[in-house]
Amino acid sequence: MTSVTTTGAKSPPRILQPRLDNWPAAFILAIIISILAIALLPPKASFWVSLAACALAAASAVYNAWGRYKGGLLVAPAIALLFVMNIFPLLWSLGLSFFSYRANRMKPPAFIGLDNYEKILTDPTVWDRLQTTAIMAILTVAVQMVVGFLLALLFSKQFPLRRYLLILVLTPMMLSYVAIGAFFRYYYEPTFGLLSQFVRMFTGEPFILLATTQGAMAGIVFADAWMWSPFVMLLVLAGLVSVPKYLYEAAAIDRLSGWRQFWNITFPYIRGLLMLALLFRTIEAFKLFDVVFLLTEGGPGTSTETIAIYVYRQAIQFNKTSDSTAISYILLFTVIVLTNLYLYLANRRAREA
Amino acid sequence: MSQTGASLSLANVSKFYGRVRALDGLTFDVKPGQFFALFGPSSVGKTTTLRTIAGLVRPDAGTVTIAGRDVTDAPIAGRGVSMVFQSFALYPHLTVYDNFAYPLREAKVASAEIDRRVKETAETLKLTHRLERKPSTLSGGEQQRVALGRSLIRRPSILLLDEPLTNLDAKLRNDMRAELKRLHRQFGLTVIFATPDELEALSMGEEIAVMRDGAVVQRGTPDELYEAPANLYVATKIGSPHMNLIDATERGDAKSFDTPFGIVGAGARAMANAKGKRILGIRPNDIRLARTGDTALAATVHLIEPLGDVTIVSVEANGQTLRMVLPEQQAIGMKMGDAAPIVIDPAKIHVFEAGTGEAIR
Repeated sequence: MTSVTTTGAKSPPRILQPRLDNWPAAFILAIIISILAIALLPPKASFWVSLAACALAAASAVYNAWGRYKGGLLVAPAIALLFVMNIFPLLWSLGLSFFSYRANRMKPPAFIGLDNYEKILTDPTVWDRLQTTAIMAILTVAVQMVVGFLLALLFSKQFPLRRYLLILVLTPMMLSYVAIGAFFRYYYEPTFGLLSQFVRMFTGEPFILLATTQGAMAGIVFADAWMWSPFVMLLVLAGLVSVPKYLYEAAAIDRLSGWRQFWNITFPYIRGLLMLALLFRTIEAFKLFDVVFLLTEGGPGTSTETIAIYVYRQAIQFNKTSDSTAISYILLFTVIVLTNLYLYLANRRAREA
Repeated sequence: MSQTGASLSLANVSKFYGRVRALDGLTFDVKPGQFFALFGPSSVGKTTTLRTIAGLVRPDAGTVTIAGRDVTDAPIAGRGVSMVFQSFALYPHLTVYDNFAYPLREAKVASAEIDRRVKETAETLKLTHRLERKPSTLSGGEQQRVALGRSLIRRPSILLLDEPLTNLDAKLRNDMRAELKRLHRQFGLTVIFATPDELEALSMGEEIAVMRDGAVVQRGTPDELYEAPANLYVATKIGSPHMNLIDATERGDAKSFDTPFGIVGAGARAMANAKGKRILGIRPNDIRLARTGDTALAATVHLIEPLGDVTIVSVEANGQTLRMVLPEQQAIGMKMGDAAPIVIDPAKIHVFEAGTGEAIR
């Protein structure tokens, strides 16, 4: 990436020197042009002007890299695709969250500053949905961590059929959300679902799990935990098998009890991975959508409507495009803050240890 | 800290790993307080032997007796055995202090007593300034001493050391050799250590068991092994530079052999009326250059390796070579191809059966 060739002899451009290989200047120019175009021109014109500005910035970056960073140029198509499919929509929606805009109206977006954010942060419905999400996330992550951890302890031992059972246990993780949703809809089905049949053997009444708030919550948590416990197990298992065997032998000679062996030998090896699993699963749980949508669609009432489903309804069903982008950004911000806080604490503990 | 060593004996111990025979009728015994070496190249079953004594491995056959008690199927606890692993096996997430203290905490020793013993052990091993450190921040020698300390602190009656010096650099090895002997004297416990290094075995072991294919080939003091190796295997493993081996045939006159170097006298170990093939083992120290008047064997200088105070000279005759150790002055001026008549001390020649490799005494 740092290969220096003949063109590399050129001196790097000064900050705002108008040269074609001055790509930082081109980027700044493109951003300024885009903002001005969005603010001043009609939407159609502004779109094309912004696009042209972006293309100019990209061309400048490529020109600068040509002959100098050949390796970098090779990954450029991938980066370009990522930019078009991912980064651009992300930034576009960030911009949109400061405008009043509905996708089903022909009216151009109107700049309203932080109004969307103000509206959302003062909306009790949003807070209610966030609360639902938090409860569900805590429950499902807790179940996943405990079950995954116990499964890992089990599978770290050798026993007959271990390999085949391991494959079976890992299967849920590989299924698609829709398949899981369909499975559990049938399991929970009141008339012929397995769960209802089972309960009917004792009570004689059909059992409608998803009809009550607690039942629906339990059903969702169970399905999600069923799907993702193997993920936690996989990470913890990786930690467990990385513990050198001789440490257990030394512990046996030192006659350390099983409990002490676990805390002083095993646990330090899996602590980091447990934290990682917790982090991944918390972020995922915060975005919980598929299973909930397939099982209850947020019902009964709105008692299991997570913030992700709320965003979906706002954006797709009610066409409140710019409102929903604002919620999305609040959500993203929350997850980033939580993640960093968590990583900070985890790192600090790792340093102390 | 006063400890007393226990006696140990293994009788016909065998262990299979699948179809691999790790120990094959292993038998030896160790006296209380002895510093005992298990010597042999890698994968002859030294580690398995130690693990069997510790109780980490259950033998498939045979008995292990510690201090007169059959412990073959006894649990690890209660054997009074502790072991230092080749990799040291320190608990990486605990400080040196905790590495020392945990075995005691488990034994429900009062915490003041634990503290006293940890400090005492650290003192003995010169680790006092390292007590709050993690093992990974220590040097190899310090880690070794921590592993030793952790083993000693519970006051075992038998200490097992699995290749204790292999993971240390050359200078540290010399220091630790002395250190181990000092600790052995201080605590008076029985020490059994495994080593693939003949120098370690000879310099530290009061007695040595030479192992091969999971069994003891010969057992004795370093002198016994050096002076009277039971077979070619022991003869070539013990002694540096290695023993010379030359092909020979009995002359049938009960006093000499035919060799590529001519007729070699070997006293009583040559047989009358026999014509068998033999292998003669001659230590490089037992050969000297002939002086005028000696009945010498003809040979030519083949290779000269000056080592400072001594020079190793290889002499050759009819395609076989002999290495000899000469004082440095005698080798001065020697050139390759020079005639170098030699004399071999007949009393020091070892005679081995050519087929089985067993010594003929």
